[in-house]
This record gives sequence, structure tokens and C-alpha cells, in this order.
Amino acid sequence: MVKELYGESGIRIIFGDIIDDATHEMVRRFFLHFTSLHIPGIIDIIPSFRSCLIHFDNDLVRYDELCEYIDTAEADGKNMVLPQAERREIPVRYGGDYGPDMDFVCSYSGLAPEEVIEVHSAQIYRVYAIGFMPGFPYMGPLDRRLYVPRQATPVLKVPQGSVGIAQLQTGIYPFESPAGWRIIGRTTMRLFDHTRVPYSTLSFGDTVRFVRA
Amino acid sequence: MITVVNPAFLSVIVDNGRFGYGYIGVAPSSGLDRFAMAMARFALGMPDNAPVFEIMGDDLSLLFSETVTFAITGARVKATVDDVPVEPWCAVKAPKGSILKVAEVLEGFRYYIGFSGIIDIDAVMGSYSTNLECGFGGFQGRPLMKGDILKFREIYDPIEHVGIPDLLIPSMCGPHILRVLSGPEADRFDPASVEFLSNRNEAAFFKASPRLNRTGIRLDGPAIQFRDKVDQSIISEGILPGTIQVPPDGLPIINCVERTIGGYARLGTVINVDLYKLAHIKPFDRVILSVSDRDEAERLSRARKDSIAFYVKKQ
Repeated sequence: MVKELYGESGIRIIFGDIIDDATHEMVRRFFLHFTSLHIPGIIDIIPSFRSCLIHFDNDLVRYDELCEYIDTAEADGKNMVLPQAERREIPVRYGGDYGPDMDFVCSYSGLAPEEVIEVHSAQIYRVYAIGFMPGFPYMGPLDRRLYVPRQATPVLKVPQGSVGIAQLQTGIYPFESPAGWRIIGRTTMRLFDHTRVPYSTLSFGDTVRFVRA
Repeated sequence: MITVVNPAFLSVIVDNGRFGYGYIGVAPSSGLDRFAMAMARFALGMPDNAPVFEIMGDDLSLLFSETVTFAITGARVKATVDDVPVEPWCAVKAPKGSILKVAEVLEGFRYYIGFSGIIDIDAVMGSYSTNLECGFGGFQGRPLMKGDILKFREIYDPIEHVGIPDLLIPSMCGPHILRVLSGPEADRFDPASVEFLSNRNEAAFFKASPRLNRTGIRLDGPAIQFRDKVDQSIISEGILPGTIQVPPDGLPIINCVERTIGGYARLGTVINVDLYKLAHIKPFDRVILSVSDRDEAERLSRARKDSIAFYVKKQ
């Protein structure tokens, strides 16, 4: 674990350099334990693939104090029993109007649309982070055969439920939004709803399989 | 009761932000100029998290069906109540049946209007702020529109003419100098290409792109070059308001208040005392990025706090 300041009011805690389940489990363990401590001065915590970003209030807690809390939490968290992650299935319509970037993905990967669908829906993905927008799951690992770069400049608008891939990740846009990923399909499943609890359909750490709809 | 006769270009209800849901991707959606919001509340004697209007554009017109005291802060504007000029950054009483008009924005971009009553809207996930992209919070999850009627829960009668001294009102015009602390991926950029950060060379300025909003401010100008053979994007990770990301096209994007995670290399983060400026960067304004360090940031933060200690307990 490495800690470093991020701006004036952030601390970045890094648990590893790559995307894998072992690193992610350390993040999840730390996040769940640290959150349960309710340390004063913490504004928010953003866990992701390999790190936690802690946003803190400089008036309520000092960086060095917070570092002590973090070290203790990391050590204590190791003994914690991690709650079981949920398994989810998400229906997707692939290609055509639902997946405007399917052609790009095919030409980049050299696969036929059917093969792209097969490879994408065969894998069981882990939700490594939720962010970008409420309920957006960053999932991986994507099969290497589907590796595609992000858009150099984000597309201004994709519809709600768009399923995208980028590098070795896959994700779903819960609302109409700008997008930097390549869209290959769409789901009708609602991923975020501010009127119900839990607000987000998926949680950090869940596993997901896409089912062709 | 307030009737929105004309909502200007974009009017949303905001507060200090929605926090504690970063793990499910919920961003703060707070008002961009927290200092201006705090001063509006101070002038009215309202609690720290009272919702306020955040407004862009002139031609705002509000009808008050009951007597309310209000304060306009943020961008300097020409405002009238029933055609009589009123002072901004000051508590002003609007009698029952009067109309508040903002005809012109003189300096800055977004202005804030606080009221001596709590607007009757429900907090969503602990905040009154509007999440425009997802359509929740604020007033029905959307910007204010012509004909909207907002009720107050309770109206107080504060002292009139409580104003903020001119000395405390910061500059809101361009060029906007944003001082930044270097970010986690700062070393991925060609040093010659980011030299402008350390020499405060005003010739190397950016222009705010017309594509700017509460989510982000894109800067046009000389593209920042990556070093050879470095990854141009990152394993997506947390970002904060003021984080400057650089996509592969080399044109920086300053994160405002609607994103928690980003996937582009992070050049730096705007220091806290300069964050209010993000509210006042207009399309085509000049923006200068200038490197700062932790000592300077802390010193400026302390100085700012001392100067406004009387007005806000906590900024």
C-alpha cells in the first residue's frame, strides 16, 4: 500500500499497479473497513480498480492524522471477513442501432460481430468500480481479443443503457451521457434510481455476466 | 412564493453538495462558487446548507408573491426590484408582488441568489443540489423554467443592507489564473510541453472552449504533448473537483462537480482557493495554468480563511 497526497484535500491510497482480483480485494477490504470507522473530516471516499481516493476536509483533519488512521485501518482490515459479492445477469441487445461501434470493434479486433458477442457474453466480470456517473460499473477483465482504444475525443451523447468496451474493461451507461468507450450493445435494466435503496443496482465487487437478449 | 417569469440561460438549485456516495459514482453537484454561496447565506443569516439559485445569463426575472429578503452574489450583475437598482452582495428586501430582474452580467459568469426562507424542495441523498445529467435533486431534477412556482417552508425577516465589503469580493474576470498542484500522472507529459506551468508565461494561455458546463471545462490551445511510449490513459480512478485531465488529444479538461472517476492522465489539481474561478470561466475566456506547491496552497488557504473568518465559520 502506498499513500500520496492528491491536490490539497485528497489522499490517494494505491494497492497495486494492475487490474486483478487480488488487488481489488485489498481495495474492497480497506474501503469497507475504513468506511465503517466513520472518521471525522472525511468528505467522501472513491474506491476503484486499484486505489481509494479519500477526499477530506483540511479544517477537520490533518494529513498526518489521516495517514495514521489509514495505516491502522489497513492493518485491522486484514482480519475482517469480506461479505460475499452478489452475482448478476444483465440482458443486452448487441449490434445494429444498439451498438453503433460494433463495426469499429470488428475491424480493430478482426472478429466477426457474432464472435464479438460470444466473447463479450462468455466472460464473468467483476465490478471494479462504480463512477463516471451514478451507477456506471467499470467491469473487467475483458478478453484480450476485444481490446479497443478509447475514443480520442468523447462522443457527445449515447443513450441510457449503452454497453461499452475500452481497453480491457466493459461498462454500462446508466443515463444518456457523453461517452469515451466503444458502444456494442444496450440493456433495458435500470442501473441507478435515486428513489429506491440500494440506489445503485450493482455494488463494488459484484460479478456480472451479460446475457444476449 | 416565487414565480419564475424568466429563468435566464440556465438556473439550477444548488447547495454545498451531495457527499458520501462516491462509491456508487454520485458526484457533489454542488454550486461551483462556494464562497459566493456562503456570502449570500451570511448576508441573510441563513444556515450553511440552505439551497440557493445558481444562474447563468442575463434576462432573469422573478416575481415574489410574498415579502422575501434576498441576496445576489457571485458574478457582478445589474439588478433591479420593480425597476429600482439594488445592490448585489447585499441583503435586499423584496416586497410582496415585486419583480426582481437581472438585466446584465458585468463581470464573472454564474451568480447566486439566496433567500430568507428555505425553498420547499426535498433533499435527495442528503442534498438539494440538482444532478442535471441524471435528473434528480433540486427542483424536479431539472433547471428552472418559465412559470415554475417555488414555495418557501418558512420566511425569516433578516436585517436589510447586510453587505459584503468590496474588498472581499474576488476578481471574476479573465484571464483566469488557476494555480495547480501536480497530479499523479504529471510525469507522463513532455517537460518542454508543460513548461508553461512553471514560468507563468502568459503567452502560453488556453481559451475556454464553448463546450463547458458544470461537468467540465475543456481548454483549447496548444496541445500538451505526452512523452514517447507512455500510456496516454490510466486505469480509471477517483478524481476531485478541480482535477485537470488530459485526453490523448492533448487538450486539458478541468473536472467540475459532476464526475467522481476519470480515465485520462491527471496533469494536476486546482488549489482550493482558486476553485471558485471555475464558476466564472466563460466560453473563450483566457485561462492560464500555473504551477503551485503545497506551501503556497496552504498559505493562500490560511490567508483566505483569516480574511473571511467573520463571515463564514467554515468555507
